[in-house]
Amino acid sequence: MNGERQTSSTMIAAAILLFFFIVWELAVFSSGIQPYLLPSPSHILKTLFANPELYVRATWFTLGEALAGLTLGVLAGVLLASLLSLAPRLEGGVMTLAILIKSTPMVAVAPLLTLWLGFGVLPKIIITALLTFFPVLVNMLSGLHSTDAALVDLFRSWHTGRWETYFHLRLPYALPYLFAALKISAPLALIGAVVAEWTGASGGLGRTMWLAYTNLNLPYLFAAIFILAAAGMLAYWGLAGLEQRCVFWKGTSQDEF
Amino acid sequence: MSLPIRMRALNHNFVNHRVKPALKEINLQIEAGQFVALVGPSGCGKSTLLRLTAGLLNPSQGEIHLGTLTPAQAVSQQRLAWMAQSPALLPWLTVEANVALPQRFNHRALTQRLSPQEALERVGLLDAAREYPRTLSGGMQQRLALARTLTQDYDVWLMDEPYAALDELTRAHLSSEILQHWEPIRPTVVWVTHHLYEAVHLADRVLVMSPAPGQIILDVDVNLPRPRREDSSEFQAVVAQLRQALQQGEAAG
Repeated sequence: MNGERQTSSTMIAAAILLFFFIVWELAVFSSGIQPYLLPSPSHILKTLFANPELYVRATWFTLGEALAGLTLGVLAGVLLASLLSLAPRLEGGVMTLAILIKSTPMVAVAPLLTLWLGFGVLPKIIITALLTFFPVLVNMLSGLHSTDAALVDLFRSWHTGRWETYFHLRLPYALPYLFAALKISAPLALIGAVVAEWTGASGGLGRTMWLAYTNLNLPYLFAAIFILAAAGMLAYWGLAGLEQRCVFWKGTSQDEF
Repeated sequence: MSLPIRMRALNHNFVNHRVKPALKEINLQIEAGQFVALVGPSGCGKSTLLRLTAGLLNPSQGEIHLGTLTPAQAVSQQRLAWMAQSPALLPWLTVEANVALPQRFNHRALTQRLSPQEALERVGLLDAAREYPRTLSGGMQQRLALARTLTQDYDVWLMDEPYAALDELTRAHLSSEILQHWEPIRPTVVWVTHHLYEAVHLADRVLVMSPAPGQIILDVDVNLPRPRREDSSEFQAVVAQLRQALQQGEAAG
């Protein structure tokens, strides 16, 4: 029954998407609006498939940066949250610093990093890591703190060590929170990489977009947007699927009875 | 080897924005190997007394000793088992793995230890060994938690309403299983319950607590041979005595 429900919800989503594109196409066609203001979806797709090599290369470039930055950000977030849960006295100071990083507009930092570190991938990875780190830290920390109080007491009564409690109790309890964070951070990583590329890069979708924008070549720009949107969606789905496998025990009890 | 429990001039207050006394002047001596039931109205401090004994809370005043050990020492030497009021199961582990978990952290060599399978069999959950806790009913989860406590096989059992979610028949069945397991090894037991019949059925001695701040207002030895028949007049007489004490406590509070 669950599978059926899933299939029908996928169908509905696809239908809504299709409807959206048809309306867009018809609106562009009937209004006669120029492609340098708003290209039609068919025009965008034609552009995309006319330049496969360009887009494939740019996509790999950007995805690589996003993935590297995301990995770094997630690792840093998980490790720091774990450290804070094991040594709660540090929490106040570290969280202040983290909020400071979070509140710094990355759009302003990106050009600086590009200025200092050049047009290579390093500034993109750093920006992406900074952007994705905070949701992971905050969610992971609430996850590690969310452990059932009775279970914490039970582990105390078993005289388990700090690490045993961490690995057998707190970490599994935090997993659903980590996945919630990843589902926010993964699409954010794409944005981070693109925004960083926008400030100057040797390749990538952000650079493609920037060039297209300065030439008012909107079909090129939109083609890159389509790819980004699709990549973000795929990442989200992939994570949701992984979540179902890793956090299988989190289902509602009604499913079973 | 089971341990006696001694509490002297024990007072405990909860401090939120104001001080709320939970336990008042508890003086208590429990012999090693004694099965003690603790009854009293909701919120009278039964769980608090148990948590103090388990070293999960520190008393505001007074002291608790298990033999010569403080509660913290008893925990670090793994001499006491505490069973929470909620089942407190790990949802990502199977029934079997949940029961086996305490042994994973056990550093003591225990001779009388029940294997996870034996413990599951005693509580009637062997068939569900490979399932996950969320597929179990509330009562089954409670039995699983009980089985997990039994595998610890320590010298002191501190049981916080182990029968809370169980029906009458299951209680009766489990009680005979528990007594069978308890009798030959005789750990000291403090068994918190609301249920007077359950208390008299199981325990060597029943303590009645007053409404908060909890004090011990009646201390009854149950000198009836086991297995006990609930319809016998002696049994009924003890229950009546306990009920009267509870009612008086309620009226005075």
